[in-house]
Order: sequence, then C-alpha cells, then structure tokens
Amino acid sequence: MRRSILDNSSGKGDDEEGINLTPMLDVVFIMLIFFIVTASFVKEAGIDVSRPHAKTAVSKKNANILIAISASDEIWMDRRRIDRNAVRGQIERMHAENPEGSVLILADRDSHGEALMAVMAAARQAKVNVSISARQD
Amino acid sequence: MAGRVDELSRMLAEGEEEAEIDLTPMLDVVFIMLIFFIVTASFLNEVGVDATRPPSVQTPPTDSKSIAIRIYSSGQIVIDGLSVDPRAVSAHITRRKAESPGATLAVLVGRGARTELVVGVIDAARDSGFRGIAIPVSELQE
Repeated sequence: MRRSILDNSSGKGDDEEGINLTPMLDVVFIMLIFFIVTASFVKEAGIDVSRPHAKTAVSKKNANILIAISASDEIWMDRRRIDRNAVRGQIERMHAENPEGSVLILADRDSHGEALMAVMAAARQAKVNVSISARQD
Repeated sequence: MAGRVDELSRMLAEGEEEAEIDLTPMLDVVFIMLIFFIVTASFLNEVGVDATRPPSVQTPPTDSKSIAIRIYSSGQIVIDGLSVDPRAVSAHITRRKAESPGATLAVLVGRGARTELVVGVIDAARDSGFRGIAIPVSELQE
C-alpha cells in the first residue's frame, strides 16, 4: 500500500507524539480555495503576435477566449490553426464553457482587415463582447 | 479488514479517545488539488481596445450626425470624403468631436487594411472622447 509522507499513524510510533498538522492544514485549505477561485482557465491562442499600439488600451480582466491572427492572416485558437468559417462555432463552444468571458483578438499589426472583420463578425454572431489586444507603451 | 472492523467496534464500545478518523487520504487529495491549481494558475493580464458597440439607448441622440472613417486597403484614410494622412487622423477626429460633440463614429475597414492602422484609428477616436465606435463587419471596403 502507498504511504503518504504525512502518514504518521503507521508503524509502532505513538499517535500522541505526532506533529500538530492543524495550522498547516488551515493554510493549505486557504491556498487551495484561493487558487480555485482565481483559476480562470484561459485558453491560450498558441502563437505570438506583435500587437498594435494603442494609448487608450485598458486592462481586460475577463477576456478568456483568445483568438490570434498572424501576420499572414491565419487564425489561431486554443493552440490550433482553425478555418475562418469554424471560428464562430469555436467561440460559441468556449463561451458555453465559461459564459462570463469575452473575446480578445490578438491581431498582428501586419494582419489585414478581412481576417480581423471575419473574427469580429463571428464573435458578434455568437453574441460575445469583443476587444482587440494592444500594447499600451 | 474484519480485524479492522473488530478493532473499530471495540474502540467505539469502549469510547476511547484514540478513535480518530484517518485524514491522510483526504490530505493527499487536497495537496494534489492544490498543486494542480497552482500549476494551472496563469495570471495573465491582457490589455486591449473595445470593439463592441454598447447596446443602443432608446432616446435618440441630440446631435444625430455620424462621422464615417474609411480605411482602404491601400492604407488611405478618408474621413467623410476627405483624405487624411494617418498621422493627422487624431487631430482631425478631435476637431470633428469639438464641432459636433454628440456625433457618432463609424470605422469602415477595408479588406486589406492593416490592423495597425485600424487599431490606430480606433485609438485616436477613443482618445478624442468617442465611445461606442461602430465597426460594421458585414460590408467591407476595398
């Protein structure tokens, strides 16, 4: 049988001499709850893009559907290259998993309007808020 | 197994203090969950500009003027029929905003327009105080 390192009730040692684990357990539980609550389960787009610059860019806290558009207008979601026509379905699926999230488009500054508008149209059809990622500096 | 049950029933019968629940398996699970959530925590902080128009209010705006900014594939920017240098877009929009503060703004994007230019125009408009910029996606410019 597998034994945990915390298992101090094994062997013939006295139970009464065991270390009091209660404070550690309190800390562990608080950490556990903290990480569960802050877990956002963001699905990374999968490619690195050079974002356009915008000085009015604001922090997007609940953007959890990331869609990247490369300089050659390829669309990436969830670490996969996907077809332009499949974007809407993918957004709807990811939105259903986490209804509070919104779409963030990570468009390369050398990508073109056609791909950008296609992704925006898909997000609007899926009735999800859209933002375009930018650099603030 | 049978011996363990006997031992437990004996302890219960005698009401001994040592009859404690073994927390070890639960602790194992808790630690594994803790490590999982620590590892999957991403803490990413993304910044961006809004591209969604807020839902329209029922009352019509006092000034129903609408400014259209067209970004063509060639990189040319046209504000209400007037060709504008990309660097002058911000100044232009600011002036138009001052002329008609209640105006709405639409950015019409061309098929081949570079994203840098599109975001630059949206940024300039936001910087001039425009909120709820319309970006029609159905009909694209050339």
